[in-house]
Amino acid sequence: MENLTLLMEGFGNALTLQNLLFALIGVLLGTAVGVLPGIGPAMTVALLLPLTYALDVTGSLIMFAGIYYGGMYGGSTTSILLNTPGESSSVVTALEGNKMAKAGRGAQALATAAIGSFVAGTLATGALVLVAPFIVAIAIGLGAPSYFALMVFAFVAVSAVLGSSRIRGLASLFIGLTIGLVGLDATTGQARLTFGQPLLSGGIDVVVIAVALFAVGEALWIAAHLRHGTPPTIPVGVPWMGKDDWKRSWKPWLRGTVIGFPFGAIPAGGAEIPTFLSYVAEKKLSKHPEQFGHGAIEGVAGPEAANNASAAGTLVPLLTLGLPTTATAAVMIAAFNQYGIHPGPMLFQTEPVLVWTLIASLFIGNTLLLALNLPLAPLWAKLLRIPRPYLYAGILFFATLGAYAAGMQTFNILILLLLGALGYMARRFGFPVLPIIVGAILGPEMERQLRRALQISAGDPAALLSEPLAVVVYTVIVVFLVVPPLVKALRRRFGGGGPTAGPPEDQFDAFGTQTSDGSARVIQAVRPNSRRK
Amino acid sequence: MSSPSSEAASGFRARLRGRSELGVAALLAGIAIVIAVDTANIRHTAINAGVMGPQVVPTIIATGLALCAIALAISVLRGGHADAEDGEDIDLSQKAHWPTVFGLGALILVFALSMDFLGFVIGSALLFYGSALLLGSRRFVWALVIGILLAVGTFYGFVLGLGINLPAGLLTGIL
Repeated sequence: MENLTLLMEGFGNALTLQNLLFALIGVLLGTAVGVLPGIGPAMTVALLLPLTYALDVTGSLIMFAGIYYGGMYGGSTTSILLNTPGESSSVVTALEGNKMAKAGRGAQALATAAIGSFVAGTLATGALVLVAPFIVAIAIGLGAPSYFALMVFAFVAVSAVLGSSRIRGLASLFIGLTIGLVGLDATTGQARLTFGQPLLSGGIDVVVIAVALFAVGEALWIAAHLRHGTPPTIPVGVPWMGKDDWKRSWKPWLRGTVIGFPFGAIPAGGAEIPTFLSYVAEKKLSKHPEQFGHGAIEGVAGPEAANNASAAGTLVPLLTLGLPTTATAAVMIAAFNQYGIHPGPMLFQTEPVLVWTLIASLFIGNTLLLALNLPLAPLWAKLLRIPRPYLYAGILFFATLGAYAAGMQTFNILILLLLGALGYMARRFGFPVLPIIVGAILGPEMERQLRRALQISAGDPAALLSEPLAVVVYTVIVVFLVVPPLVKALRRRFGGGGPTAGPPEDQFDAFGTQTSDGSARVIQAVRPNSRRK
Repeated sequence: MSSPSSEAASGFRARLRGRSELGVAALLAGIAIVIAVDTANIRHTAINAGVMGPQVVPTIIATGLALCAIALAISVLRGGHADAEDGEDIDLSQKAHWPTVFGLGALILVFALSMDFLGFVIGSALLFYGSALLLGSRRFVWALVIGILLAVGTFYGFVLGLGINLPAGLLTGIL
């Protein structure tokens, strides 16, 4: 009950005229930038970060909640109207959504995505309100060994479990940790990897890292392979749904929410898996399975809801434990850190008003999003036709601006260029970007927890196993790392399954067993040849 | 898709790609060595035996990177390779167009180095204009107009809206 009181207080804070205005600006900007092709939610949040510099903490976090949901909704609009989605979590939406748009049912696809996002986002934020205090209550009693274990878990999850290649995932993680190493060591004050450059002693600004990897790396990569001519987009009217569409959508929305939230909430997040599971579930349960692949509305409603519910679920480990597990969440942490706020269980104790105002503004942002996006959809669709040279020149413009404004240092732009080149290489050679950013952000924190844990035991590493949760977490990590290759080996031996060309169900199944190297990616498994028509 | 000549070309390219990924492994190993050297140069006297020194974590990272470099090299030599990232505006059937990439990089570099002299407005308008032309825009006047509007608008947006002063450079006193 206490939570509800706090939440109401949060609503009281968020519902002032000024804060509503911030939420409105956030939603509008988030959607407008997110809908631009080539810009996913993480890049949206990273590029819009500088806008919040001059605002007070509450105002900027409220604006951020709007940008977060707006950016995600913008991404799904792009994938419905353009087919080839920028973000892996919208891949599934594109499968049926684009088919619907091509068949002249774009308005219905956008409507079920918008309303489904609203339903799932609201329910999942409600679940966040219920779950977060429990986790905080547990987390507050945890010591350094458990935190260290949880961070190792997050590292393993983003680098070795998600993604297609473990070696490349781990290499990305270590590169991220290296970036996090730069600067003066927090405890001993020793300079590390600063190469005598005083501007590096404070470390590299997380905003610069995020903008470089997501915006500059992406813009350079696209520039190298820019497709000539603009891909065809489908004009669309104001989204609406008929009675039959409602009937076919509401169950997938709820199922998607139930599938999406837990996947976001465990610190092994990512919306890829739940959106796939939702798609498969809807296909199995649908009364019109023959429509799947030709524009089934359930195939948009379910995965879109799962995507949004998982995004809200991601906020559980982010707010209660300080663990980001998606690229967008990693950039959000950067935003928090700008104000010296470090998410974690203590935040609920020290800044309850702030946390609950943020959660309240998630509800508000979600509602504004629905109210705005239904009428504004035709306008967003026009944004898709922006000439590509202006689009990517604009991304570079705002990326350099953001890096410069992060410390009013031209030196930051040089770092931006260097890390942008790293982002380019990552895309060229199939290295995932997420472990780099998570490693760079969590690395220093991990070192702090490790130091604390070892300090208590005077350097005895056995201390790392001194808390029950830590032991459990390490066990789960071992299972994560050992079981999939084992299953794969057994399968190969007994000849079952295997990633041979079969019906799509088999390929989803093959996804569950992580392949280790150079194997087909999940995304490619579900949309064979969708790109090269 | 499968005419014999393109098959041969793709075979050759695959071999080239294998080689460039060995370069990535070498880069990882290089970073590991840089960290190792940097860490060896830390002169930290342990004041308190209970505190973990500043060398521990860098040592772990350097070791990890070295192991990844070896594993990647082995994997590449055994024929493993990763797919380049695909996307909305990406056409992977074209070869990387290096003049564009390096041109954009050079523009950002010039922008950074000339910021104090030219100021934000001139520098960033030129950055936008140059990038748009490099990316294939042929509307020479329009791109410049958009660049100038974007730069001036952002400058005043930052000063008036956010209270942040961007450097005016050459235009000090005019803006």
